[in-house]
Amino acid sequence: MTTQFKVLERNYPRVDAYEKVTGRATYASDVYLPGMLACKLLPSTRSHARIVRLDTSKAASHPGVRCVVTGTDFPDFRFGSGALRDRYVMPREVVNFVGEPIAAVAADDEAAAQEAIELIEVEYEDLPAVVNPLSAIGSGAATVHPELENYEGYGFTLGHNVSTLLDADRGDVDQAFRDADVVVEDVYRSQGINQGFLEPMACVADVEPNGRLVIYASTQGPYQIRAALASVLEIPVSRIRVVAMELGGGFGAKLRLAFEAFPALLAMKTGRPVKLVNTREEVFTMNGPRLPVTNYIRSGVMQDGTIVAREAYTIFDVGAYLGAGPNSGIGHGIGAYRVPNFRLRSYGVYTNKIYVGSYRASGVADMTFAVESHMDRIAHELGIDPYDLRVKNALREGDVSVSGAVVPTNGLMNTLEAIREKIDWPRDLEDGHGVGLALCEWRSGSGPSTAAISVNDDGTVSLLTGSVDISGSDTSLAAIAAEALGIPMENVVVSKRDTDQAPYTGQSGGSRIVYSQGTAVQRAAENTVEKLTALAAERLGLPEDALGCEDGRIYVMDNEPQGLTFAQLAAASITSRGGPIIGTASLSSMPYTPVFAAQAAEVKVDRATGQVKVLRYIQAQDVGTAINPMAVEGQLDGGVVQGIGRALTEDQQFDPETGAVRNPSFASYLMPLAIDLPELENVLINVPAPDGPFGARAVAEPPGFGPPAAIANAVYDAVGVRIKELPLSGERVLAALNGQNAEIDFDVDALRRAEGVAAD
Amino acid sequence: MKQPLNLNINGENRLMLVEPYYSLLDCLRDDAQLTGAKKGCDEGDCGACTVLMDGKPVTSCLVLAHSAHDSAITTIEGLADVDGLSPVQKAFVEHGGLQCGFCIPGLIMSATGFLQENPNPTEEDVRFAIGGNLCRCTGYARVVEAVMAAAQEIRETS
Ligand code: FES
Ligand code: FES
Repeated sequence: MTTQFKVLERNYPRVDAYEKVTGRATYASDVYLPGMLACKLLPSTRSHARIVRLDTSKAASHPGVRCVVTGTDFPDFRFGSGALRDRYVMPREVVNFVGEPIAAVAADDEAAAQEAIELIEVEYEDLPAVVNPLSAIGSGAATVHPELENYEGYGFTLGHNVSTLLDADRGDVDQAFRDADVVVEDVYRSQGINQGFLEPMACVADVEPNGRLVIYASTQGPYQIRAALASVLEIPVSRIRVVAMELGGGFGAKLRLAFEAFPALLAMKTGRPVKLVNTREEVFTMNGPRLPVTNYIRSGVMQDGTIVAREAYTIFDVGAYLGAGPNSGIGHGIGAYRVPNFRLRSYGVYTNKIYVGSYRASGVADMTFAVESHMDRIAHELGIDPYDLRVKNALREGDVSVSGAVVPTNGLMNTLEAIREKIDWPRDLEDGHGVGLALCEWRSGSGPSTAAISVNDDGTVSLLTGSVDISGSDTSLAAIAAEALGIPMENVVVSKRDTDQAPYTGQSGGSRIVYSQGTAVQRAAENTVEKLTALAAERLGLPEDALGCEDGRIYVMDNEPQGLTFAQLAAASITSRGGPIIGTASLSSMPYTPVFAAQAAEVKVDRATGQVKVLRYIQAQDVGTAINPMAVEGQLDGGVVQGIGRALTEDQQFDPETGAVRNPSFASYLMPLAIDLPELENVLINVPAPDGPFGARAVAEPPGFGPPAAIANAVYDAVGVRIKELPLSGERVLAALNGQNAEIDFDVDALRRAEGVAAD
Repeated sequence: MKQPLNLNINGENRLMLVEPYYSLLDCLRDDAQLTGAKKGCDEGDCGACTVLMDGKPVTSCLVLAHSAHDSAITTIEGLADVDGLSPVQKAFVEHGGLQCGFCIPGLIMSATGFLQENPNPTEEDVRFAIGGNLCRCTGYARVVEAVMAAAQEIRETS
């Protein structure tokens, strides 16, 4: 590939590759401190109950046990992970789901801690519970949070179990539906999904001799953990240091405070380091996954395929607490299309299940499954080719997005075109084989970002950001710095994250790092060059505009051999000027930059078993400038495989009576293995983003959105059955082939009535 | 009560006192202070704890430490020598076969054990060989590519 760049658009290994392949990378669970205690947790066995008695005396006197804490040992303070402050870090009186930790023990070793846990005596008084979100909305259902209206952050909702309501409206929807030639209506349901990160939640808490708390965390957001810990422990932020260790996968699950407060309080009470590492079962039963989503979607369409109206009602099960959100899904109810009139609603509904968490653009994958399956349904209703229908309605530059932002230049059409070419659409395949499409959209993530670059007197630079490395972002940030400074990658040293050292930054999530943090790095590099140039100008007795910057030196444009290297300038500045040269930049938000991807699945369906096999999976994504194409493709591969898991096998199941997680292990929650997968084909479309660093766009989220719909559409193409519920298990497909394809129950009129919209 | 246990770990004889109920994984991490092998599940489902026991890949969380008495264990820490990375490690670096890295010690050990048995694998063989190793980040594409590249390197240099 020819490139205008010196560093970017080339493949290079990750800056942390050596530590990772040698087993030297240190994750939170790899932290062993002298005198360290082990922490274990006692989970609630009830879905909704009052704790009548919680007796820890036997546990406390068990040999090896150093400390036991329960909810009342924490300050009486409600915190929140999402929009509402709806939970205690450990429940004081009432438990709201099976698995909720109600006591924590610190002991000399794990065995003693676990024995002590089993000695804790609990007596519950059961309260009425509700598990199904569709019934939780109804007035007869038990109430999960009777005090909801008093919670901080509570806004307008329907009350009762409805925690949040998001809406978006445009135009005259009802009139547009009346004018439409055809109306297509569907209900889709997507399943509970676990993030499936390989490193269980882990944390070591220690107390410095001066009483300051140190947390070695497995987190995507060290500053967010610090802030939340300060609130729930009622200590000042300055008394907490969070060290972000190597992160063994998070995908959104490790954005916020999880269990760090338990070892923290135990460490404060014992003066000893305390380590908590969740078992895999605890990961599944205690830490928020994605919960099932039901999507009602209706479109008004003209005979020629033009979509004129869209209505979407989404019910997000949020479980016991709003662990994340409200969800971004609703804004994606029109997909990557121009729809002049829409009414979009999304309800977050409490139930007595494990609380909801974030996962790789929460809610959008559910919405994409609905919207992109629905697009094929419209195409078939009208007898239009599904590809042509997408092209006809796709957003163009200058259109207005759901949020009202104008769509800037982008590669949407190029992604569609690339997919068409790759699969040679339209394909006519033998029976049992099919091809399906999906179009995915996302935006590059924004949020507070900052970076500092200091120039070392050997000519290298140290890059300091507060962003935790997910998806190889350190490597990309180093590349951006190197490009902007005109030095090789190897000359950029990226520091590790520690809230004491790095400047504040937002969480690593939502595909924010490269786009927003990368911009901060680029600007910090530019600021560094300005400072180097100013010093060189002074030293050389020349005006700044006579100087250029290249290959690690500031040179005289009229006389290239004359100049000063970064090393010389750094040394000069340290001894004779204001000290080391440090360039900085900060920003709070970035302009709207969409990311589009088109995907196609080719499948084979076994009519005898209903088994779906993906034979080929292709994605074309507009990534803007590819900072490191190898890493970009790694993101595309990883994301799409998560999406294939969501489409076919992954299914977090809940007991319909108690809401308890029924399959809390990797043996029963089935994520894709190497043997399950087809060859993955990627096409990178490079339409530079007007605002991203050197034109880069976010990458990581959209790959996972498409597979459920693309595969469902391919299954329809193969055997003519439309599956509207995930996963597309053999059992479900077989039932549909046998004509037992149950429609999903959804009383949309009740929701319309509740907000005063005329039902039709 | 802790019992004496003799293991040869990465070429070094170690005599340790280890709890009778400890798994080989816990023994390596807690007692031998080798944290390269990871505990992703402790139930034999993820492969992150894979090490070589007498040359064969095992999920060390399922092996009772004392049942490994007197055997030779190779962990991820034992692969690189003074001359640098092993061919498998090098291939993972060069082909971008890693992201968060938590599964990587296990994957590299599975691949290393497998290539000793079969230095001439098909891509399908590789997929089966690492079929017990979960990776949530990479989608396996680059991992498979890396193992194939390592196989070639091993063939060419042996
Ligand atoms: S930790 Fe041994 S297989 Fe998962
Ligand atoms: S690289 Fe993260 S699980 Fe494999």
